[in-house]
This record gives sequence, structure tokens and C-alpha cells, in this order.
Amino acid sequence: MTPEPQDQPGFSAALARGLTSQRMSRRNVMKLGGMSVGALSLSSILAACSSGSSTGGAGGSSSGSGAVDFDPANAGSTLNFSNWPLYIDKANKGFPSLDAFKEASGISVTYNDEINDNASFFGELLPQLQAGQDVGRDIVVITNGEYLAALIQNGWATELDSNYRPNFDANAASWAKSPFYDEGNRHTMAWQSGLTGIGYNTTLVNQPPTKLDDLMSTDFFRSATVGVLKSDAPDLVMVNLGIDPKTSQQPEWDEAAAWLTKLRDSDTFYAAYDQDYIDDLTAGNLAGTMAWSGDVLYYKIWEGQPFEFIVPADGSLLWIDNMLIPAHSQNPAGALEMMDFFYKPEIAQMVTEWVLYMSPVPAVQDLIAKHAKDETGTYAKQLTDTAESPMLWPDEALLSQVQLGRNLTTDAESEAWHATFDKIWEQ
Amino acid sequence: MAKTASDTAGLIPEGLELPPARKGERALARRRRLAAYLMLSPGGLYLVIGFVIPLVIIVILSLSSGGGLFSSGGKTTFSWEWSNYSQAISDNWKIYLRSIAYAAIATTICIGLAYPMAYWIAFYGGRWKATLFMMILVPFFVSFVIRTIQWNFILGTNGLLFGPLKNLGVIPEDFHVLRTPVAVIAGITYNYMPFAALPLYVALERIDRRLVEAAKDLYASKSMSFRKVVLPLSAPGIFAAVILTFVPATGDYVNSTILGGPGTTMIGQIIQNFFLVRHLYTIAAAMSVILMLGMLVLALAYARVLGTEDSTLAAGAAA
Repeated sequence: MTPEPQDQPGFSAALARGLTSQRMSRRNVMKLGGMSVGALSLSSILAACSSGSSTGGAGGSSSGSGAVDFDPANAGSTLNFSNWPLYIDKANKGFPSLDAFKEASGISVTYNDEINDNASFFGELLPQLQAGQDVGRDIVVITNGEYLAALIQNGWATELDSNYRPNFDANAASWAKSPFYDEGNRHTMAWQSGLTGIGYNTTLVNQPPTKLDDLMSTDFFRSATVGVLKSDAPDLVMVNLGIDPKTSQQPEWDEAAAWLTKLRDSDTFYAAYDQDYIDDLTAGNLAGTMAWSGDVLYYKIWEGQPFEFIVPADGSLLWIDNMLIPAHSQNPAGALEMMDFFYKPEIAQMVTEWVLYMSPVPAVQDLIAKHAKDETGTYAKQLTDTAESPMLWPDEALLSQVQLGRNLTTDAESEAWHATFDKIWEQ
Repeated sequence: MAKTASDTAGLIPEGLELPPARKGERALARRRRLAAYLMLSPGGLYLVIGFVIPLVIIVILSLSSGGGLFSSGGKTTFSWEWSNYSQAISDNWKIYLRSIAYAAIATTICIGLAYPMAYWIAFYGGRWKATLFMMILVPFFVSFVIRTIQWNFILGTNGLLFGPLKNLGVIPEDFHVLRTPVAVIAGITYNYMPFAALPLYVALERIDRRLVEAAKDLYASKSMSFRKVVLPLSAPGIFAAVILTFVPATGDYVNSTILGGPGTTMIGQIIQNFFLVRHLYTIAAAMSVILMLGMLVLALAYARVLGTEDSTLAAGAAA
């Protein structure tokens, strides 16, 4: 034990994560809460019905960049920032990076770690967005994909003014700049990012896997010990079949579905997860699984578990969690100011040392390495591991191995995609 | 609203003085009517807001079109879209049937386990009756979700139950129950058993012991007095237990989500997915209505075949 644990982000991170749980698992409680969720969906339906009759065209009205004033001089004094659990630095009861922002800008941020998955959070905002109302959040973090596309397409994401983000322009990683789903970063800026690859327990595998096909081979995994991440599996499989998911169509989807069906029916298959695979990995029910880099690295580096995360030989899926400003935000200027603030390397460093996902600010790597030199003991070692993990600081070689997932942008595409992939897990 | 004296004024010929006794009777009847309204309206209002209105909305949604997130921002339009129903059935009929089958098996096991338990407590519980019965209800003090997640630990591949057995070599290393139909049905059975035990106990408790003694006096064997006296008299309890277990179990999605796998999907999961993940409310609503009507038809058919009028009434009372 260290004398002042609260001053060391590493320690408090481990403690907090140990005491609470992984970034995702709270979602289960919500999803399975049954009654409360039922009530929630009911209220959103009621709201949807009433708004449907009262307003003609929702969205599209507010997001023109000309209409919104992004001049920091005109920013409001408060911000509501909605993010995923355990996805920002923490100390005692506060958030050092947000405190630093308050000091710099005078804007106080109310931080809500209320997003447990993209789909249900989107559903929560939907009635107000449809009605053309303020959703009560100024910044939300949404993963690239179907729901982000729907937000942008319906005009529910405020168009950003590129004149007011100097730190982003100066410090953002190449992969964070102008992603294909939001060219020119017109609506979004990356918060953190990560890879979907294979996570495994070194003590439970017959031999270490190197490619995705190994998941269905008993040479590598014992019977009923392999997990699948439902949402990421189609894209990850396509990457490993040599298909670029971004431009994939039905025939390629069918190919990926056939691969997944084969895995499902193979002897090694155990279960398909929405996101809570990590519980089964730590419980020893899983020997290997499709997994998120940050989850596995956290347990490896900070908890000393015998876990390993690899990019399969044929590639990984890259995903980006994006900050955006919902339409009708009360403080868009303050929101953009904060989004840009997190592109200062010393601020981004605070976040990365805590959350262990890929930072959109590459300069953070050196800062963490330097920080490690100033520390001693286990904490220094953990920081060094963090600074040296290839999964956190992708070089060109690694980036050439990863792809972003398919962006579904029409109802027909969404329908076909779900018809192809959902039924694998819902026989 | 309660009728006032003037409402009934026209019925009484003018100038006719009623005898005092009749007057009192009328006042009493009026008070009774008023009491009925007062007693029924809070619950009735609650049901209208909490059940009838949402039900109407669901039915309207199930017959609406549109709702695509990209083309219409999720907006729906009422248009007598019956194709929602045909799509819901053609895509999911297998899953509907599986849900009914799982629920039926779980219900049968529930009754099989709960009946002897309720019987023993009702007949031999003595002064411990209340305590013993309380113990059946104790699991309800723990959240439904938490209870089910605990089963993950119990039934886990290397969990509480199978871990030690595997270490001892009693069962093979790759043996697992989680993610199989067995786990899902076991979970449902466990979670709904108190619903079966409650009405069974009430029905058995009410049986007049003198009837059992009379059967004995008439030289009925123990099994015969059970078959001819106890079982028929507890039929209302069985009827209620079946309805109370089977109906919610069919729509259950917690057990199959936590304990099941790809091959154990139940209809509740599909509805959940369409409502909360894909936000396609029209199809989800159609699926819900189909499930509801299906349950209604099955329950009515069951009442018709197995329940007598008396037992249906009694079941209602017991429930």
C-alpha cells in the first residue's frame, strides 16, 4: 500500500475498478432491471408519439454551423458531459482533468458516467431529439457505427466550427483526423479509441493463439471456452477474411456470417456477449475471447492477471469513441472548448494513465514515459508498461493491420445487416 | 359518480311519502354504491394509466409503419400495417414455440416441486407453518437479476458446483450446463417456484381436514384419500399456480439472457432487442401483442379444459 493512494491515479484506478466493475457491466443491471427499463422505453414511446404529432420535421434545423456561435468568449458557465463509466481520470471524488478545465476556462462540468451502451443511450435521447428539444447534455461520447451515423444524418449532432480547435489541429493522431464516417471532423472529435482483437488467459490455453481462426481450433482452446463479442464480431471477422468492412456488402456479410456460424457450432464455442465478456474471462469460464484492448490490458497491467491481448495475424478492428454536441445544446461554445482542451497532451495524459485505451494524442506516450521515471516501485513499472504497450501507441505497422468497421447509413442496410448477423446468436 | 337523491326523484310518484324503513334502505344502498366507486376507482385509475393506455399505444404502434432510424428519424405513422404481424410471426415462430415449451417444462417442474412442499407445510407444519412458508418467500427479498446472476457462479464451468466435481474427476473437464436449455429452464423454475407454491399452499391449507378423516373412516387408503379428496380440492390452487408460473415464464428474458446461449433464445429477448437496441418499435410492439394474445388464448383454453367454474373463481381468489 502507498501512503497516499488518492494521489496516485494508478492505485485509485485499480481500487475503483475493483470495487465497482468494468466499464460495461453496469449496463446489464440496467438492461435486466426489467421493470425500470420497461418504464423507460414506455415513456420514450409516449414521448415519441406525442412529439410525432406535434412537430413536423425534427432535426436538421439547428445544426447548421452558421447558426451556432462557437466563440469561447460567449461560452456559458456550465456543461453537462455524458460519458461511459470509468472512462476518465479520477482522484478522491473529483476529476483532475475537468478541474484543470474549470481553472483554465471558468466552466464547471457536470460529469455523468451514464452511457452503458450506444443503443440504449441513443434510445434515451431519441424522444427529445425527435421533438427538436435540448437533450440536457452538451457533450456525449458515441462509438463510430450505426447510432453515430443516425445522429449525424438526422441533424442531431451539432456541426462544429473548425476555427475553434487549435489543440486538436496541432496534436490529434492521424487516425483521429477526418475519419471516413465523419470527414473533416465536422461533427465529432475522438475521445478515446481501442482495438478489438483476441484476449486470452495464458494459463487456460493449450497454446497461444495468433490468428482469428484459432478460436475454433481445439489445438488452441479446450471445449466450450471461447467467447464472441456480438457487436464487433462481423467487422472483426471481415478484416480477418481480408475484406475491408467499410466497403463491404451483402455477399461479404454472408461470408462473415458463415465464419461466425462455424465458430458458433464448433466445439470450442462457449458464449456470445453483448459486452460483459470480461466477467467470464476473469472467472475462468473463458480461455479466450474477442475482446477490447483496454479491458484486457487493464487486468494485465494493473491487476497482474495472466491475460494477453493480441492483434490477430490478419488484423484487428479499430473503433473510435467520439465526442459530439447534441443538437440544441445550451452551451455549444463551452462544449467545443472542452473537447479541444482534452487535446492538450498534459490533459490527455491524465486520462490515458487512468483508462488505458488508445489516446488520440500521440505525444502522451513520451509524457507517461517521463512520468514513470519520476515514480518508483510498482507504480513506475505500471506506467512504463503503459507507455510501452504497443496496443496503446499504434505505429504505422500496426495501423496498417487495423480497419474501422462498417458504417450503416440507411434503413435497408441496417435491416439487412441485422437480419444477417443477429440470427446467428438468436436461433 | 354517486347518484344523488334527485336522480331517483322521477321514479317516486310525487307526493308519496315513503315509509321510514324504505327510506333507510335507499340511503344504505346509495352509501354502498358510493363505497363501491370509492373502493374501485383508485385501483381502476391506476390500471387505466399503467395498463390500458400503454396497451392501446402498443397496439397502435404494432399497426404503424415507418420507424426507420435513417429515413424517418425513428418516427412511426399509424397505417393498419398488418405486415408487422406476419413478419413478427414468420421470423420468430420457432422462438415463440421454444418459449412456450421452456415455460411449460419449467411450470411442470415448479408444480412437481412445490406441491409436496406446500402439502407438507399445510398438513404437518403445525405451529411452524408461517415460518416455513416464509422461507419459501425469502428468495424474493433478493433482486431477481442478482439471484439469476448468482446462478452464473453456481453453474459456471469452474463454478461452485462443477469446479470441485471436475477437480475430483467425477465429471469431464469440458462439462458445462451454462448456455444450455437445462440452465435456462432450471433458472426459470427456481425464479418462479414461489409463484407456484403460494396458491398451492393457500388451497391446501383451506381443505377441511374432517373430509380426509371421513375418507379414512370409509376405508380409503392413504393414496386413495389423496386422489379422491385432497387432489380435487386443491385443483383451484394448481390452476392458479400454473397460470401464475406459465404466463410470466413464457415472456421471461432474464434467465435466457444470463444463463442461456445462442440456441436458447426466448421471445422476450427478441422483443427486448427490437425495443431497446434496434429501436424498431413497430415490429417489437407486434411481437408483444402476439405474445399477449397467445398467452390469453392458451390460458382460456386451459381454463376450459381443466378448470371448472368454481376452480377458476377460486383460483382468482387464491391469486
